[in-house]
Amino acid sequence: MPHVDEGTIHAYLDGELASGDRSAVESHIAECSTCRARLAEERALVDRASQLLGLARPRERPAPPLQQLRQRRRVWRVRTPVAWAASIALALSIGYYLRGSDADTMAFRAAPLSPAAPRSVAPSEDRAAAPPAAHAPPPAAAEQAATRAPRGNGNRIDQPRDALTAPPAAGIVAIRPDTQLRDARVAAAARLAAPEPAALAEVDLALMRGRLLATEWPIIHRGPARMILGVEPVGVPGLPVRDIRRNPAGDGTVLVEQQLDSTTVIQLFQRPAATELHSYATPAPRRLDQAVPSVRERAYAPADRLARFVGALRVEIAGPLSQDSLNRLLEQVKPLP
Amino acid sequence: MPEDLADVYRNTYPALVRFLYRKVWDGERAEDLAQEAFARALVHKPDNARAWLFVVAANMARDEARQAARERRHLTLLKSEPDAAPGSPEEEIDTDTQRTAVRTALDQLTPRDREALLLWDAGMSYDEIAAQTGLARGAIGTTLARARRRLVEAYDAGTEGGQHAARG
Repeated sequence: MPHVDEGTIHAYLDGELASGDRSAVESHIAECSTCRARLAEERALVDRASQLLGLARPRERPAPPLQQLRQRRRVWRVRTPVAWAASIALALSIGYYLRGSDADTMAFRAAPLSPAAPRSVAPSEDRAAAPPAAHAPPPAAAEQAATRAPRGNGNRIDQPRDALTAPPAAGIVAIRPDTQLRDARVAAAARLAAPEPAALAEVDLALMRGRLLATEWPIIHRGPARMILGVEPVGVPGLPVRDIRRNPAGDGTVLVEQQLDSTTVIQLFQRPAATELHSYATPAPRRLDQAVPSVRERAYAPADRLARFVGALRVEIAGPLSQDSLNRLLEQVKPLP
Repeated sequence: MPEDLADVYRNTYPALVRFLYRKVWDGERAEDLAQEAFARALVHKPDNARAWLFVVAANMARDEARQAARERRHLTLLKSEPDAAPGSPEEEIDTDTQRTAVRTALDQLTPRDREALLLWDAGMSYDEIAAQTGLARGAIGTTLARARRRLVEAYDAGTEGGQHAARG
């Protein structure tokens, strides 16, 4: 038998040779010192490669129960450029429906997902709180995102080449609904995620609503914020504080804006719990005689869960995330270090 | 379903997470993607669930990698966050450095060699690797030999370079 080639040695070491081949290799190695030496070298190589790969392991955590995955809610991750396009389309449609003395400029200022966008300027709280026309056409980009919903069944193992060359299942993530938001990483994964594609518009709208409310609020330092609140302002641990603002009306509300990532800001409206004020992060309550809310508006039904007491403060959260994600972020809120 | 998916889940989940981790380099994303793959398997009930899962996972990771290229800054931000269960600071730095070095070394493999190596390390057989990568079964040994050699060489070159730089 000629010398054993490298591939065969590795297959031998990996225990992947058929028994006949294995016997042949073993009898050759017993007689051939060159191949014996080679075998030792290759064994060392296999061990070393395996050891190196072992250095790059994730921290192992127990798997959640399989049944839990059944209830996994599918959450489509919207590609950033698509989300951006969608937010602009939405901003334009809001501008159209709210067109009026100052609303025309608002649409352009309210494209908050763009890193390059100027800070939006709130026209007025009333206007921002007024729900936009419900029948605004859904942004084309959002629809496009919806059509990218993967099927995931084109990858049959009996067609490996097809499977490998098939279009990848378009970027999906799902947020485990069961786990606590352990840190900002999950929050980051949750950003731009919406319960379903159609909800993208709603999420963006929430962002605008929040930002429109507060962007004319003067920026203040930590000290004055502490004086207004009587305690340290609060925020989500681990996220950089972009700025701290106060309500120009002097009602004792402070806004902490935190950067979730380069394009996403969350807002934490906070005030001493004793103060009776209307909600900032949720729209004004609907009067009974108003029309039945549309799907889009229903997403904004005033929700107590978006507010929380943290020590002596009542904190409300707003941002371009699903309510679920906002809730989880809100649970994390603590006095800023 | 010939295989009991619950068994596959129990036996394969950690390997699938590890496989994905070495593609997306984020532990929680890897878990999310692995869980998503299993969630889909629950729906599709594939015949060969284990192999099917790795195909789906590889596709998801590939898409993830494209996404990641656009979110470089974001990933950098995440990297700077401390882990939840840290060891001593020195250990952390060491581990992090080594992981980065392995990652850099893996990046220097050809995609096919890397795929074969990661699949092998995830516990796939030569037959399964051949089915997934499209390589002939007889070529898997040679592919793995090349991948291992390249990994070790690239790692050593990278870390030696780093030591020289540190000394210099």
